[in-house]
Amino acid sequence: MSDARALLCDTARAVFAEAETVGIAPIEEAGFGLLLVAEEQGGFGGDWGDVNAVLQIAGMAVPDLPVAELIAGETLQPAATVSLMAGAMDRALTLSIDHVNTRQQFGRPLGKFQAVQQSLAVMACEVRAVGAVAAALAARLDTAKLDAAAAGFEIAAAKLRANRAVGVVTSIAHQVHGAIGFTAEYELHRLTVPLMRWRGAHGNDDHWAQILGRQVAALGGRGLWDTMTARDA
Amino acid sequence: MQGFALYPFDPPGDIASLRADLRAWLAVNQPQSDVVARANCWASFDPDFSCALGAAGYVGMTLPARYGGGDRHPLERYVVIEELLAAGAPVGAHWIADRQTAPLILRYGSEEQRERYLPGIARGELYACIGLSEPGAGSDLAAVRTMARETADGWRINGQKIWTTGAHFSHIMLALVRTEEGSERNVGLSQLLIDLDTPGITIRPIIDMAGHHDFNEVFFDDALVPHGALVGEHGQGWKQVTAELGLERSGPERYLSSHALLVALIDTAGPDPAPAIATLIGELTAEMWTLRQLSMSTAAKLAAGEDPMVEASVVKELGNAFEQDMPRRVQAIVTSGWDDEDDLARLLRALLIASPSFSLRGGTREVIRGIIARGLGLR
Repeated sequence: MSDARALLCDTARAVFAEAETVGIAPIEEAGFGLLLVAEEQGGFGGDWGDVNAVLQIAGMAVPDLPVAELIAGETLQPAATVSLMAGAMDRALTLSIDHVNTRQQFGRPLGKFQAVQQSLAVMACEVRAVGAVAAALAARLDTAKLDAAAAGFEIAAAKLRANRAVGVVTSIAHQVHGAIGFTAEYELHRLTVPLMRWRGAHGNDDHWAQILGRQVAALGGRGLWDTMTARDA
Repeated sequence: MQGFALYPFDPPGDIASLRADLRAWLAVNQPQSDVVARANCWASFDPDFSCALGAAGYVGMTLPARYGGGDRHPLERYVVIEELLAAGAPVGAHWIADRQTAPLILRYGSEEQRERYLPGIARGELYACIGLSEPGAGSDLAAVRTMARETADGWRINGQKIWTTGAHFSHIMLALVRTEEGSERNVGLSQLLIDLDTPGITIRPIIDMAGHHDFNEVFFDDALVPHGALVGEHGQGWKQVTAELGLERSGPERYLSSHALLVALIDTAGPDPAPAIATLIGELTAEMWTLRQLSMSTAAKLAAGEDPMVEASVVKELGNAFEQDMPRRVQAIVTSGWDDEDDLARLLRALLIASPSFSLRGGTREVIRGIIARGLGLR
């Protein structure tokens, strides 16, 4: 990560922490709405790699605030949602690992039980997959100069893959937390409820599967491979 | 975990022309093999093809030129491997030698071993198998019992290996054996490079449920190999083997070996598929694209000299699930009968029968998940 982006992320963490209690105002005041605006126009001059990093932090810290809408326009909302989902899933995994390492049952931490380990490994694979599609989509959007149409294949694939991870990630996170994760006082629902909402927002599974499936059908079997390799950044 | 940054896949050289050259070469040199052979191509044994591929410079690509290699970057090799697999080229003969044995010999082997074995591997002529599993060991590799005792004449080997892919056509085996009598678990193990025509070695086929002969049992009955057969350091076999397994778990073969079925599904569906088929094609494409990103990122991390044990295991776990899931989901939607003889039906049948092995080979699903759990700090 570049120094500029690391600094941006530090700022985002601090500002979002404040926003957790007081709402969107500190995020607006800090100028995150200008993240994608060019420097000569008074903006930050960031790229989608920066947006991806900031929105992942938003997905962890302030999943209910409209940070994605503040930063990106309508055509990029599906991509922005993938970044939010990657962040929220990452945080749900961290909470789950912390919980099973702390909570003792039958005389040892839950995390020492193989059944729990296997579940969390499955969850981690999904979380890694969504992190990977968010990063790959960012790379493509930056190559395509934020042209959502030019990154149509990657947006469809990434949103579809992120959507499909939601079921596994939310169910395992809640399962390993037991009843405490289902309470209003514990923070897990602050992540899992938005994840459930985001699955249907900006294109549900069927929407993107149809778009991607029809695009691939038109390419033909060999054409899929040729297209995929030709699109490498 | 704090976000999964993709390790940048940034190979040197002109990758577009590397792909184009290989595609043109394959158009001329790839045998017109059956669609089922193309589907599981890293198990398809074709020495003529392997030698031609070696002569064209696509085997041993990353080995130094002084051993007959191509001095190419590991990510250039990665690009070649994914093109070969996507095309369904019969790479099975040289596959293990090129992927695992050559890098291991280069890293740990003696100068004599490098000079003796690497040029033949790079030519696509010398084939290798990996002697790990044993009866009673399986995924519990530390339970290896095959014993090699050092004598004045060399190492005397007694014991048995099992599930050894390709032993029947290989020239050498890189075996994990116990070299300290009475040692336990992962201590006292070493790696030996064994010429398979050594007297005292018997190879017996194990036919799998698809009727294929990939696996073998290999028996060692007082087989004597020279002192120089030891690879790397005496007693360091466990460390060397676990490093080697990283090479085996994250390659494009973990999601591309059933690629032919996706191609057949797309071609059979035509340009205007029914909605349910379009959905399936879309979902499988999204998964394959994701796996490709994960696999490339892991390859880049390996190429940078890091040890992406967890990342490699994630690729294997998700890749195996994808490859097992695909034939089942295709079967659920197409009208082909079990005994039909069109390409899609034959591919489907072959992959349904082969698919139970996908989450067994190269480490079982449960072992792989255990490695991931350790990476998460749970063990």
